[in-house]
Amino acid sequence: MGAMNHPSHAEMSAAVIEGRIERARDIARSVIASGADVVAAIESGFAPGIRRVGELWEEGEYFLPELVQGAEAMKAAMEILRPALKAGSAARAPKGRIVIGTVRGDLHDIGKGLVATLLAASGFEVHDLGNDVAVEEFVARADQLGADIVAASALLTTTMTVQRDLARALAAGRPAKRPRLLIGGAPTTPAWAAEIGAAHAENAHRAVRVAEGLLG
Amino acid sequence: MSAIVDRLRRGPTLLLDGAFGTMLLSRGLPAGRPPEAWALERPEEVSAVHRAYVGAGSEAIHTSTFGANPIRLALFGLAERCEEIHAAAGRLAQSAQARFVIADVGPTGVYLPPIGDADPEMIHAAFARQGRAIARAGVDAIHIETMTDLREARIALRALSENAPGLPLFASLSFDRKKRGFFTLMGDPLVPALSEMLEMGAAAVGANCALASRDILDLAREARAAIGDPLIIQPNAGQPGVRDGHLVYDQRPEEFAADLAPLAGEGIAALGGCCGTDPRFIEALGRLLGRRESR
Repeated sequence: MGAMNHPSHAEMSAAVIEGRIERARDIARSVIASGADVVAAIESGFAPGIRRVGELWEEGEYFLPELVQGAEAMKAAMEILRPALKAGSAARAPKGRIVIGTVRGDLHDIGKGLVATLLAASGFEVHDLGNDVAVEEFVARADQLGADIVAASALLTTTMTVQRDLARALAAGRPAKRPRLLIGGAPTTPAWAAEIGAAHAENAHRAVRVAEGLLG
Repeated sequence: MSAIVDRLRRGPTLLLDGAFGTMLLSRGLPAGRPPEAWALERPEEVSAVHRAYVGAGSEAIHTSTFGANPIRLALFGLAERCEEIHAAAGRLAQSAQARFVIADVGPTGVYLPPIGDADPEMIHAAFARQGRAIARAGVDAIHIETMTDLREARIALRALSENAPGLPLFASLSFDRKKRGFFTLMGDPLVPALSEMLEMGAAAVGANCALASRDILDLAREARAAIGDPLIIQPNAGQPGVRDGHLVYDQRPEEFAADLAPLAGEGIAALGGCCGTDPRFIEALGRLLGRRESR
């Protein structure tokens, strides 16, 4: 695959935008094999691709399957590039540590999964607790890991109030480091977040910016 | 033809009920507890909600079984009680003396690839079991609601028609408004999605949740222009927000009713509410449709 020896940044972006998981993986491997600049490949190649996917979603051109497919392609590339990134620069610390999950009573996983993928792709260390996560589990894991942010999703009006229980539990706990709470999910609004003292992200695309803002 | 389908075809517009889960929350259902469990645990509260809707003018009410499929019930250790929940919910709805009782069927909550890794066979089995339970629950029809993936709606429609033969099936999907029109979360466009449900045997199709009354007015008109079969429209009461620490939707019953009422004159077969609505919304709508005097 001669053309793959020096994959261009445009090819990296395109693989993510088109949601081609195998292609993204192949390109990432060739980045490593050719000794190309891994940081540049991420920052000028793959990351602009996932940002474009987010824009196409916001514009209504992409729907959830395309968004997920793009995120999966991004994740596939990052899984290959991340070890090289760590080896190349031991000093390159993650932007922050995030514990994420969908609240108790809520099976919905898609939004949360996307947020987790995009946060990881953006340089955060992400611990995904899955769905139907009890308040106590969020708190215990955040404490144990020394998380900077707890991100909690709720997709039903009947489970959204669990986010408030979580906010209270986090505020009541006495961890060495009190994590910030970031919430999202279809019924959630900035007003709801303000009410319970949390930060709010209206979609996965925004969640990365909000998380960066919380730790910035 | 069954009486409810006959009514949907001939009119006048059938007045449905509104939200259920949030009504139970306001009656003390703990956050994160499934509303479906209360058919067994707090039947008097479930009955009270049904009666409130019938009192407000709902001619057809939905059973409290939105999440009563075995996949979702398993989350709460209630999968074994699927049949029991449907039987109890059916009885509670019937006791409210509405003209019609409709079994409510929501999505499983698991997703097919590429979103999730759910197996279509497993989803089919869940709806099949729910269908068998509904067949014995003494309802007039089944309403598949809030579907965001046409593929899951297809599986539900097939499994329910196989396992609850003879019961009319209605199918409502949730649509968002995008630049190029109305689409489900997965990108299924409005008219083709509803048309396919009809071709697969649905007696009526529609839209619920996601949109508030203003947007759903446009949706209903677009669907009506293309589809001659009965349409069911159930919007949310505006957008969710918080007041005094409680989750509220920002629309008032009168606004909701004023937005929706014109649809009755445009051939929409059934009108009701989704998230954030309560009996006051149905009552306000009934008043504009001239129903209160006749009760």
